[in-house]
Amino acid sequence: MSLIILTDGLRLGLIYAIMALGIFISFRILNIPDLTVDGSFTLGMAVFAVFAMDGRPFLGLLLAPLAGLAAGCVTGLLLTKLKVQPILAGILTMTGLYSINLLVMKESPNISLFNSGTVFSLAETILPGFLKPYVNFLFPALVLAALTLLLLLFLRTQLGMSLRATGDNEAMVRASSISADRMKILGLALANALVSFSGAMMAQYQEFADISFGIGMVVVGLASIIIGEAFLGRRSIVCNVLAAILGSVLYQIVISLVFSTGLNTLFMKLLSAVILTVALAVPLVKDAVKKGKSGRAAVKRGEPNDA
Amino acid sequence: MLELQNGTVVFLPGTVNERVALNNVSFTLKDGDFVTVIGSNGAGKSTLLNAVSGAYPLTSGRVLLDGKDITRLPEHKRARYIGRLFQDPLKGTAPNMTIEENLGLAYGRGRRRGLSAGVKKADRELFRELLKDLDLGLEDRMKTKVGLLSGGQRQALTLLMATIVTPSLLLLDEHTAALDPKTSRQIMSLTDRIVKEHEITTLMVTHNIQNALEYGNKTLVLSQGRLILTLEGSERDHMTVEALMRLYSANAADALSDRMIL
Ligand SMILES: Nc1ncnc2c1ncn2[C@@H]1O[C@H](COP(=O)(O)OP(=O)(O)OP(=O)(O)O)[C@@H](O)[C@H]1O
Ligand SMILES: [Mg+2]
Repeated sequence: MSLIILTDGLRLGLIYAIMALGIFISFRILNIPDLTVDGSFTLGMAVFAVFAMDGRPFLGLLLAPLAGLAAGCVTGLLLTKLKVQPILAGILTMTGLYSINLLVMKESPNISLFNSGTVFSLAETILPGFLKPYVNFLFPALVLAALTLLLLLFLRTQLGMSLRATGDNEAMVRASSISADRMKILGLALANALVSFSGAMMAQYQEFADISFGIGMVVVGLASIIIGEAFLGRRSIVCNVLAAILGSVLYQIVISLVFSTGLNTLFMKLLSAVILTVALAVPLVKDAVKKGKSGRAAVKRGEPNDA
Repeated sequence: MLELQNGTVVFLPGTVNERVALNNVSFTLKDGDFVTVIGSNGAGKSTLLNAVSGAYPLTSGRVLLDGKDITRLPEHKRARYIGRLFQDPLKGTAPNMTIEENLGLAYGRGRRRGLSAGVKKADRELFRELLKDLDLGLEDRMKTKVGLLSGGQRQALTLLMATIVTPSLLLLDEHTAALDPKTSRQIMSLTDRIVKEHEITTLMVTHNIQNALEYGNKTLVLSQGRLILTLEGSERDHMTVEALMRLYSANAADALSDRMIL
């Protein structure tokens, strides 16, 4: 029983980890809280679903990230060319996407893919026999590994370094003859391409697309990143990227465990909000406790307390 | 060669807070000139450099670099030809990136940023040599995040980054003012060495009159947005801090601030 819950959480975690990589780019590399995510996740689901219904799931997997890329560009343009505040820029795109997503889904709020051929079933045919039962795990794991590798390689290129520097010190970036605006657009585009791709994989895995599935995704992604960082720290880029993945898997396992107790799934979004709040609060509380302790120790030693 | 023609910058025009920070200033820097700029607080020294670098647009007037009109070029495009250091040592480097990554970014200045390696093997050797020249031991810490360095080390690194691809023009805005006196002297002589070695045309704002006369070959004096004095040649060679202070009070409405007297 619990093993099934674990593997289920693991699989979901691998798929959501793709989204976490995207949110890592906007939130941690560019330092931009990007709320486009809620819309672009569903966008990926929607694009994938319509193509999968048509019997072309692989095309859907290919086009979903391109749709996300475009969504990210819109937010980037709002942010840089119209100087809209980052949060608002994301909200604008997300809101607009709701209509677009409905349009893509041919005006129906959900699409079931139960009878369509899935990428998993197609991937299964190319796997050697003894691996076939694990396809639901292997396929997302391989995709995630490939994307992670590509992302890490990209971040070490001139372009990738320019992107990182933009979130780190914009003045320095401009002084190095790099257009900070262009980097922000590029970063948001890449981030949302990953998010949409994650949405497409999720639609495939769950075999349905739902117009409201993306609500609160940004919270899930952020919580995952912060949880991962609590374990791995933020020492290097490799560390940070692995943290996003680990955090994602842990988060989904916890969620699966919680709901395996029979808790009503309507609490899903509330739980994700609570988890993120706790994840944000823990470091502060830890700090406060540490300060309190050292402060008290200092008082005992008779030193002045400058905290 | 840098030419500023009737450079004027007005902040908040048409409001009660309107402020003419730069008032019809014209000057020319010939290739290889090392020009120092002094003036009291709020005289418009930073505004002058910002207008040249493109951080602020000129309200009127023109900027020409090597004969090309760059008045309308955005800041990051001008940065292909202009190296820049700020007073704040934190402004010039990316703290969460390593020393070699920062240098790698600076080394790509003026080129298109593509998918080639951010820090190439051959570059790394060059960086090591250049860092060794700074004599701060940074050549052994190339994988250290810049955020862990001291202000002086960061400013030295920024200087290296600004000049690693020799710029047509180097702008220095009180770049040693935030450092302790000893580090400040070190960075100043390092600046002088690098500028001389590559014969970089340089415009340096300083609040240290001694430095303004000691380094470079020309001195501009600003007061309330106007260029009130230009010192060069033998007049400058024989100028003392005291004489300059007297000359300033004879020409300007305000006084050079206390922090200038050094
Ligand atoms: N962004 C801005 N908006 C409005 N006013 C400004 C702005 N920047 C500078 N000023 C004003 O323009 C004038 C010139 O400022 P500037 O920073 O160029 O002086 P400075 O000579 O560099 O002085 P300091 O020695 O203090 O650095 C000042 O009166 C300042 O208040
Ligand atoms: Mg200034």
